[in-house]
Amino acid sequence: MKINPVIEKELRIKMRGWRSPALLAVYLAILGLVIFFGFFENIFDIGYSFRTFNPRTAYNVYNALASFQLVLLTLIVPAVTAGAISGERERQTLDLMLCTNFSPLSIIIGKIAVSIAQIMLLIVASMPILGTVFLFGGVRITDLLLLIAYYLATALMVASIGIFFSTLFKKTSVANILTYLTLMFLHFGTLVLFAFYVRVTMDPVNFTRPTFNEALAFLFANPMFGFSYLLEGPSGGGTILSLFTMVLSYGAGNAPVVPPWVANMIFDVVVAAVLIPLSARLLRRP
Amino acid sequence: MLVIENLVKKYGRFTAVDGLSLEIGPGHCYGFVGPNGAGKTTTMKIVAGLLRPTAGKVRVAGIDVVENPREAKAKIGYMPDFFGVYDNLKVSEYMEFYCGLYGVEYRKRAVITDQLLELVNLTDKKDAYVDTLSRGMKQRLCLARSLIHDPDLLILDEPASGLDPRARIDMKEILKELRNMGKTILISSHILPELSEMCTSIGIIEKGKMVITGTVAEIVRKISQKRTLKIKVLGDTEPAVRLLQEQVTVGSITVGNEHIEVEFEGDNNQMADILRSLVKGGIPVISFGEMEGSLENIFMQVTGGAAALENQSGN
Repeated sequence: MKINPVIEKELRIKMRGWRSPALLAVYLAILGLVIFFGFFENIFDIGYSFRTFNPRTAYNVYNALASFQLVLLTLIVPAVTAGAISGERERQTLDLMLCTNFSPLSIIIGKIAVSIAQIMLLIVASMPILGTVFLFGGVRITDLLLLIAYYLATALMVASIGIFFSTLFKKTSVANILTYLTLMFLHFGTLVLFAFYVRVTMDPVNFTRPTFNEALAFLFANPMFGFSYLLEGPSGGGTILSLFTMVLSYGAGNAPVVPPWVANMIFDVVVAAVLIPLSARLLRRP
Repeated sequence: MLVIENLVKKYGRFTAVDGLSLEIGPGHCYGFVGPNGAGKTTTMKIVAGLLRPTAGKVRVAGIDVVENPREAKAKIGYMPDFFGVYDNLKVSEYMEFYCGLYGVEYRKRAVITDQLLELVNLTDKKDAYVDTLSRGMKQRLCLARSLIHDPDLLILDEPASGLDPRARIDMKEILKELRNMGKTILISSHILPELSEMCTSIGIIEKGKMVITGTVAEIVRKISQKRTLKIKVLGDTEPAVRLLQEQVTVGSITVGNEHIEVEFEGDNNQMADILRSLVKGGIPVISFGEMEGSLENIFMQVTGGAAALENQSGN
């Protein structure tokens, strides 16, 4: 089996030297400290109030770490991918790749795989730390696997947006700005649009609440919505919206058509399926 | 091997290449000469499949580079005028990366890398990081990279630019070796005398148009009808000069320290007549030959002429 040479070369460059292992070590140390202090605080509580260990503590720590990793993913993946093609152009190495008979699609896929591999290295390496919550129950192994699947889908979407702008624009700085702006829109713009919709349609007399499906119609592209639902169940969706003092009605008969995290993951895959071939096409037609 | 027909490349209103045509036979070396911005690099990029032409056809070994870019790229080795290298990558890894891009099997990569590094005299730098190499070494490495897939046609855009004299000689030697290997070469350079030495034909391009093309000798003849003879005689030059002045085909005569330079208008038979009359007249001729036309002069004449015309029309 032939490995994509772009992946082989990039990983070799990135993993060479002391920087990557050092970065990984520092990252894991920080996560370890968060876990330690999370539990330490609980032990401190027991000493003074004679309470038993609260399993919710482990769950809260798990949620905090999982959220922190999603934020990290959303910050790191664009930084890597928005310079993937434009950086090659600026470094004057792109023509050397394009004059070979290696397909532009394989170049794009290689670049995306490298960016996802980088973030997944951090995430997978942190799994034993996240796994400490298994000691206290409350989180199943399937939850953890589902979380990784969600990270993968989100990373794929973010990387596709980054690489698309990197191919479309000559300068990495422009690609970077547009990628982050797009992600800001997906994370916060969709929330604002939904809040606006609620303000317009809400009945001020009866205080009608928007349904889950109405929220989904606006927030299917918002990675935070599906993520909070994935962690907390239906109340998680409300947690995000409570930022805007909105409460969803999710009682009987108002169940979402699909769980928001599924909708988000479908959106992620569709974005990747559109933007990756489009980027390859842009690369092919100078 | 390479056929370009009426090639046009426009960027908005600006025409970078304007109806350019040329043909290079297998094993030939074609020198592309022109001032900066003349359209050499654009033409070469189109041939290498990196730019799409606005109009015209480019075929490499009968394959259309626009319609079948992947097949055409397999036949072409391209070395750009400016290129970068990666940090943190060793020379052997750099070569193996491009072996991968060209689809070379894993087991063959090390062998090909060793052979090509030996060809460009970089074997001892195999484990060095590419970003630590000198400019000349990077140029040679880039040349080795362009040969990985054993292409029939090599497109070399200013391979000697920015090199010191020693590195230029090294590059020239490697290019001679490539010619001996039977590669067809399209090369552009500002080092014009070097092109005249190694190219079978040259083309002078200006403002996207081919101004003149042919062998060096043909171009010299087309531009200047006069030929220059360089004659060396033993002892006193005076009798030789007197005899030369009697010849109708001879124009001005310049006597140097060791040579007599003679402007001459005529064919090879008439040139032989001059030598015969010198020998008959008892002149001890120790060397007699035609001076190679200086490509630099021709280049200045052709492109300068165009610039002068432009100035006139501008005024």
